[in-house]
This record gives sequence, structure tokens and C-alpha cells, in this order.
Amino acid sequence: MKSPKMAGNALWTRRLVLQRAVQLSAMGIAAPLAINLAAIGEAAAFDATDYKALVCVFLYGGNDYANTVVPYDPTNYAQYHQIRAGAAGEDQAGIALARADLAATALTPVDGAVLTDGLQYALAPQLVGLKQLFDAGRLAIQLNVGPLVQPTTLMQYQSSNRAANPLPPKLFSHNDQQSVWQSDGSEGSTNGWGGRLGDIALSAGPSNSQLTCISASSNAVFVAGRDALQYQISGSGAIRIGALSGPLRTAVNSIVTRSSAHVLESECAAVTRRSIELEGAVNAALGGVTLTTVFPGSNPLARQMRIVARLIGANATLGVKRQVFFVSIGGFDNHNSLIADHQRLMTQLNGALSAFFAATVELGIADKVTTFTASDFGRTLSSNSDGSDHGWGSHHFVIGGAVKGGRFFGTAPHVSIETDDQVGQGRLLPTTAVDQFGATLAQWFGCTASELPGILPNIGNFSNTNLGFLQGG
Amino acid sequence: MSEADITSLRSSGLLAWLNARYDEPRGQTGVAWLDSRGHNAITTERRYRAHEVGDFMIWNQLVAGPDQMRKRVALAMSEMFVVSFTNFTSLYPSCLIAAYWDVLTAHAFGNFRQLLEALTLNAAMGNFLNTRGNLKEDSRGRRPDENYAREVMQLFTIGLYELNPDGSHKLDAGGKPVETYSQDDVTNLARVFTGYDLDSLSNGGTTTAVSWERNPVPSTHLATNPMRFVASRHSTSEVNFLGTKITGTTSGQDALHIALDRLFYHDNTGPFFARQMIQRLVTSNPTPAYVQRVATVFGNNGSGVRGDLKSVWTAILTDEEARAMPAASDTLFGKMREPIVRFVQWARVAEVTSDNGEYEIGDLSDTDTMLGQSPLRSPSVFNFFRPGYVPPNTAIATAGKVAPEFQLHNETTTSGYINFMQRVTRNGIRDVKPGYTALLPIAHDVQAVVDWLNLRLTANQLSSETLAILSTALTTFNITSGSSVGAKLDMLATACFLILISPDYLVQK
Repeated sequence: MKSPKMAGNALWTRRLVLQRAVQLSAMGIAAPLAINLAAIGEAAAFDATDYKALVCVFLYGGNDYANTVVPYDPTNYAQYHQIRAGAAGEDQAGIALARADLAATALTPVDGAVLTDGLQYALAPQLVGLKQLFDAGRLAIQLNVGPLVQPTTLMQYQSSNRAANPLPPKLFSHNDQQSVWQSDGSEGSTNGWGGRLGDIALSAGPSNSQLTCISASSNAVFVAGRDALQYQISGSGAIRIGALSGPLRTAVNSIVTRSSAHVLESECAAVTRRSIELEGAVNAALGGVTLTTVFPGSNPLARQMRIVARLIGANATLGVKRQVFFVSIGGFDNHNSLIADHQRLMTQLNGALSAFFAATVELGIADKVTTFTASDFGRTLSSNSDGSDHGWGSHHFVIGGAVKGGRFFGTAPHVSIETDDQVGQGRLLPTTAVDQFGATLAQWFGCTASELPGILPNIGNFSNTNLGFLQGG
Repeated sequence: MSEADITSLRSSGLLAWLNARYDEPRGQTGVAWLDSRGHNAITTERRYRAHEVGDFMIWNQLVAGPDQMRKRVALAMSEMFVVSFTNFTSLYPSCLIAAYWDVLTAHAFGNFRQLLEALTLNAAMGNFLNTRGNLKEDSRGRRPDENYAREVMQLFTIGLYELNPDGSHKLDAGGKPVETYSQDDVTNLARVFTGYDLDSLSNGGTTTAVSWERNPVPSTHLATNPMRFVASRHSTSEVNFLGTKITGTTSGQDALHIALDRLFYHDNTGPFFARQMIQRLVTSNPTPAYVQRVATVFGNNGSGVRGDLKSVWTAILTDEEARAMPAASDTLFGKMREPIVRFVQWARVAEVTSDNGEYEIGDLSDTDTMLGQSPLRSPSVFNFFRPGYVPPNTAIATAGKVAPEFQLHNETTTSGYINFMQRVTRNGIRDVKPGYTALLPIAHDVQAVVDWLNLRLTANQLSSETLAILSTALTTFNITSGSSVGAKLDMLATACFLILISPDYLVQK
């Protein structure tokens, strides 16, 4: 978190103010809604006069990369089909999609880049909205990204010398890889890189400390900072406690916000207090946002992304300059019924991401909002008869007006269960690290190179700290 | 806890009371209840496809049944050996989850090893973690499904790191924790769990051709029978996992026994299970010594039996750390009560009844307007919350402690819960209504009402501040013995509501 750009004393002064504010808030003393840090006066870590938002779309369960970004050219498709269906062919079989179904979503990169083995990819057939965004230059695809401590070859992965060849903790385990993706640490981590970005943003200038890091999903370590708090919001907005406007209001307010010497009681009440304190301001601000973009119904991800869009629309009212959002969709652990279940999930993903981008266009803020996908891990390329198993690297989407879209970034893996870019059964050995992926987003957000190690601890082990998928990033 | 329970516990002491609970007959099972309500009947209503009656089943089990001790530990185990029926697409989703629940209650006072095997072969578990239909590898590149093999190790028995008997991590020469298994162990163990499928025909199962379904409808045996073994689908490759070799010629049943024995006898299993059950029942951060005392009993109940669950519950609940009142200075002892437990505790204290016997309390998972948690509906096999969850930016995190239930606690759920409890304490849910029968006769006596509820809901742990707020708020109702029943119920519901939303109650100490 230390930023050499800033004078040490000023930094610590400002950080102390922040910490104090957080502590006061935790003790039940309402912190002012917007902590005026401008008064402390010093050079900002980045120019935060404009507004920017990052939105992490987490695909819980481990998305099947091979049926999301699918080999389409005849040669590579044949390999894919052989591995996923156990036989030659182009029809849907086993866990292989039919080649004809991919024609409408086949991708041609704008830069004419030639990928590994002459690969042409197609998106899952349901991702028609994402195909349009790719063609419009608003969506880029980061190939084979996953947690890495340092660049790692297959030989290094197989080495018994872990001291020289460190690996991320607990590979292939859901809860831990969710946490590693979000925070660089396994289960029990207390801050994530989204939250740490929030810390930097807060230290840079006046912003609303309590509404910088927001989850519209359940609690997520991604949006917890060292100082920045996660604020959780429902798809319908902030939930108002009805009893606070009735005859019981005094009793209810006293009971639920009462401070206690017992730490668990005190922290329990702190959350309720925050809920009450922010509800009015948040709902009032949301009330001032009109959004005509239609989000698909019966789509939990779309519901979350709609409230994120509305919050973004309310950014000026809420007094925020930088925001990090977390949304999620579950069900990706497709050991079974992969074809049917993954199609349903791709439909929901497509609907939610497409509507969300359209909403940012409607709000006139598309180039200030960057959305990206993340997931526990990729899966095996090989089949277990009607599903796939836990893997490692995967392909991910980056969407927004500032994205250098219509392009692939990173290295395409061979379509193979034998090459040295996978660790068995087509579990991809990542060729791009989550830390590099995050660093690229962080720099667009406004972080300097020297601030990156405080956010993405392994970034110093990689020579390329900006993958280039964002303009001005 | 009922009046009778309190009396008998006071007179006989905890140990005798627990032993009496172990000897209590098991109440009606979940499957039997579904049958008794006609929910498994093959009719055009197609309730055999309904999920909601599974919710009715489990709520009935939790709020209405006898044998509460058995149910309480079964609920705790349902959050370690997780199955969620939310996404079941098979016939009989409700009967499947009822049969899973019945495995937990059947073995709750039995042995861990038998429980582990019964869970492994349970049809709902087979659906959830894909042992159902799991096929051996073939020459065309197909591989066994690894889901159950991984999670039975990571979540149900040994966990990710080698443990000392007190539950702490063993460290290697470099001070790093030692992983218990590798991907290779998972791939090998997966072969053991190939060859299983649902079994609708054993034990008298039948199928019925009906006009409204394309295929004949099997009887509930599909859900209640253990999965059947099909030798031709079982891998005959050698299995090497955790240092144990199972040759390719070993029968499927023997292979299963060897594999489950390996996990059962693993040094980790005792402390791994002990710590999580302590967390579910007593405190989020037990001392290593407490874990070790319980793990030791898991290893040997005193009569040479490993995995005797009755002895484990007794060890957990009679331990000095569970019994002693935490010192005022110990401001981290205890745990947040999870929403399911809050609701069930209220329902029993309020003596809820169903006027039609249906217990139509549905899925209460909605966070905006309901509990934000519903039994047997975890979002994944990783439960509603993780045993290692640390709430960020809290004094809990600063102290290096965990607080699993806080994973469900946020700005939405806290307010959604408060709103939900305000409605429910007065109106109940659908056919399920609070009776407050023990309280109605004393409703005119605010002090008596508060004392009664304080004992039953918090073991007299309400703070003096909360007691004072309650007293003031309830006195304004001006209830006399001649007040209407409606007025009395308003006041009693308010009393429950205010206690149930107080941090004093929400944290069990």
C-alpha cells in the first residue's frame, strides 16, 4: 500500500484518518457519509477527478473454458471433438458442442492475429450478445489466465522442489481457488485485490469510504480492503427495516445498534448499524436514476448487474469517484449434465452482460466502466462421460468502452491433453497470471506501477505487468 | 427446550439427560412424513416432482418433531456432509433429500464409519456429487468423475492439511503445512466410486405406467434405496491413494470398504470432525485442547470403539469449555446463531402448530424478505458458510479468529431478517401459527414474560440494557389479565421479536 509517490508523513496521516474512521464506525459512532480527505491536501495517488468502476463477474463453480471459448476451425475443432466426445465428428456428442451451432458466434479478431495452431475460436452459441460486443470492439478475451506465483512451466509444476517452484495454495479446490482468484490467499483471507484497489482509491482523494467496494452478491473477500469495507446491496436496493418507522422504532433501534464489550455482538451490531445508516442515502440516490435498458428477468446475475448499473448512475449523488463491484452467478461445477446446464448458464451470462453494457451506454459512462469475468478455475478438456472436472487456467472476458476489444490477449493453449501447456486431462497450466490480469485493470483504474505490489503481491515476478487490453491503462 | 426438559436436566444432570436423549425412540422419519401427507403419491398432481414439499418435510422435522437432540446434531452434520436439493432435477427431489436427512438422523447416535458409508451410497448424495452414473475410464479418453473423491476427502473426512491431534496444522521442516493429498490421489480414488447408479427396484421397488408421463414412474425406492453397484461400469484399474493400494481385481464393495476405512482411520478425521461439530454446536474458536479432548473420544470412546458419535456429542457438550460461563474478559467466546437455528428456536418456544398438518414453511433462502438460509438448501457443497471464514475489517479478524456464521451476515441479510421476524413472530407463516400457549396466561406480567423468554431463548444472557429496553417497550402495551387474546399476542410477539433481533441473542455464548 505504500506509495513512493506520496510523502510518507502525509500518507500515514491520511491512512490513520481512514483507519480511525473505520474504527469509529465499527464502534458504533457514525462516521460522516463522505469523509473529507481533501482537507488533508496532498498529491493524489492518481487523478481521481473523473469516475471509474470495475465490475467483477464471478462464475462460481469453475467455468468450463472449452465450451465457452470453443475451437472452431476444422482442424482444431476435430481435436476438440475427439477429446470431448471420444470419437471423430462434428455433431453434438459427449460434451462436445456441434460445430454448426458455433458458426454464428465464430470470432475473427480485428488485428488479424494468428493464434496457436491457427486456432479460430467461436463463443458458446448462447453468447450472441458477447459476439456483437467483440465485433464492436467492446469485448476482449484473455486466454488461459489463472493463479500463478511466478511463471511456471510443466517441468516446474512437476518438480518436487516447491521452494524453487512455488505454486498457488490448494489448486483444484473450489473454495480456496475462489479465494485465491479474489485475494491471492486461500480460505480465510481478509482482503481481496478489489478491496485493496478501493484502499488506494480512498487514499487518493475525497470519496465515499463506505460505498467504494460493493457486493451485489453474497459476502465476497474480493471487495474487502485493508481499510475499505464491503457494502452489500440487494438487487432491489438497500433493505429498509420496517420497524424503524413504527411504534417500536426506539426500542428496535436501541437493541440492534447497541454496542457491546463482546466482540461478536459488537461486530454483529456494526453491520446492522451500517445497514441503517446507509439505507436512506443509497435508496434516495437510486431513486434519482432512470434506466430504461431492459435486463432479462428470472436471471439472478442480471438482477445484480441492474442494481450495479443503477448505483453507477448514482455515483455523483453518492459522492464516489472510484468503485469496485462484485456480482456472481453459481452453478458452474458441471461434473454432470454439462451440455444442458452450461447452455442455461451461458444464456444467463449473455443476457446479464449484454444488458449491463447497454445500461452503461445509456448512462453515458461506458468508457468509465470495465467488467471482467473470473471463476474458481477452468475445467478439464477431457470428459467424465457427461461433464468435466476441476482444472486451473481458463479464458475470461473483459468488457467496456475502454477495452481494446475484438482481440485475444495471452497465449492460446493447444487443443490437447498431452501438450506441455496443460497438467493432465487438459487442465490448463496458466500462461497469464491473475496478478497480471488484475494489474492491467488496476492501472486503468488509476494505480501506478509502484502501487501494484501492494495490490497484487506476485506481480513483481512477472516482467509484463500490463497485458494491454485496456486503453490508457 | 421444553419445560419438561429443563426440569429433568436440572434434576438428573447433563450426562444423565444426554444419555436419556440417546435412548429416546427416533421420531417419524422425513420419508415417512412425506408418505403420510401423500407427497410421494403418483398422481396427476405430480407432487413427486415438487421441491417445496421437501421444505415442508424438513421444517416439520425441525419445529414439530420429538427427539430434538437427534435433530440438532443431524442439522449440524447436514452442514458438513452437505447435500442441497435446490437443483435436483430427478424425480422425487423431496423424497431424495428426506432419505438423505433420514440417514443423518438414523446414524446420529451411531458410528461415523457406518454414517460415512451410508452417505456415500445415498441416492441424494449420488445426485449431488455425481457418484450416480459415474463410469469407469475408457479407451476413448473418458475419465471417472472426480467430484465425490475430492469432496469426501476435502470436506467430509480429512481436509486439505495434515493435522495434529488438537486440530492444528502439522508443519514441515520449512514451517509450511503439509498437504494431505494430491490431484493424483483424487484421480485414483475416483475409480473406487465408479459403477454406482440409482436403484428403483430393490427392496420391493416398482414402476407404474401412467398416462401423464412419458416413462413409467418408479416408486420412492428410487430415492430411498442405497445406490446399486454395476460391476461392468466399475473401473478395474489399480488405485493408489494416500499410500493405500487397491488392486484392480478387488471387488467394488471391497474397494469401497478399503477406501472408506482409509479415510475413517486417518489421523485427521477425528480432529477435523471434532472441530467442526464444536463450531456448529458450541463456539467458533475452540481451544486446541478442547478439540483434542473431543478428537480423543472420537478415536476411542473408552471401550475401544472409534467413531462412536454418542460419545462425541457427550464430549462436546459436557466439556469444561462448553460448560463454564465464559469470563467477562473472554469477549470472543461463542458463535453467531445461524438463521435456521434462530427460526427453529423461536418456533418451538412459540409452540407453533399447523392447522392443516402441512407445515407449509417453504424455502426461506431469500435474503431480502426472509431468513436468508433454509435447511438442506446450501448454495454448494461448501455449506452456507465456511469453518474458516474470517469477517474482513472486524476485531474478529484482528484477533486472528474465525466466525463462520458471519459469512451470512451483511447489510441486506441483517435487515431482511429483522423484517421477517417481525412478521413471523406475530403471524407465523401460512398454516404455521404461533400458539404462545405457555405465555398467554402470564402475558399481563411483563417481568414474568421476559424472564420466561430470557431463560429459553438465551439461557439468561440478555444484557441489563436489553432487559431495560424490553421492559419499557412491553409495558406500553398495558396488558392486563382481562386484555384480549389479540392484544396479548401482539405483546408476546413483540417480546420475542425484540429478543430475536438483539445481538445478545444472536451471539450464543
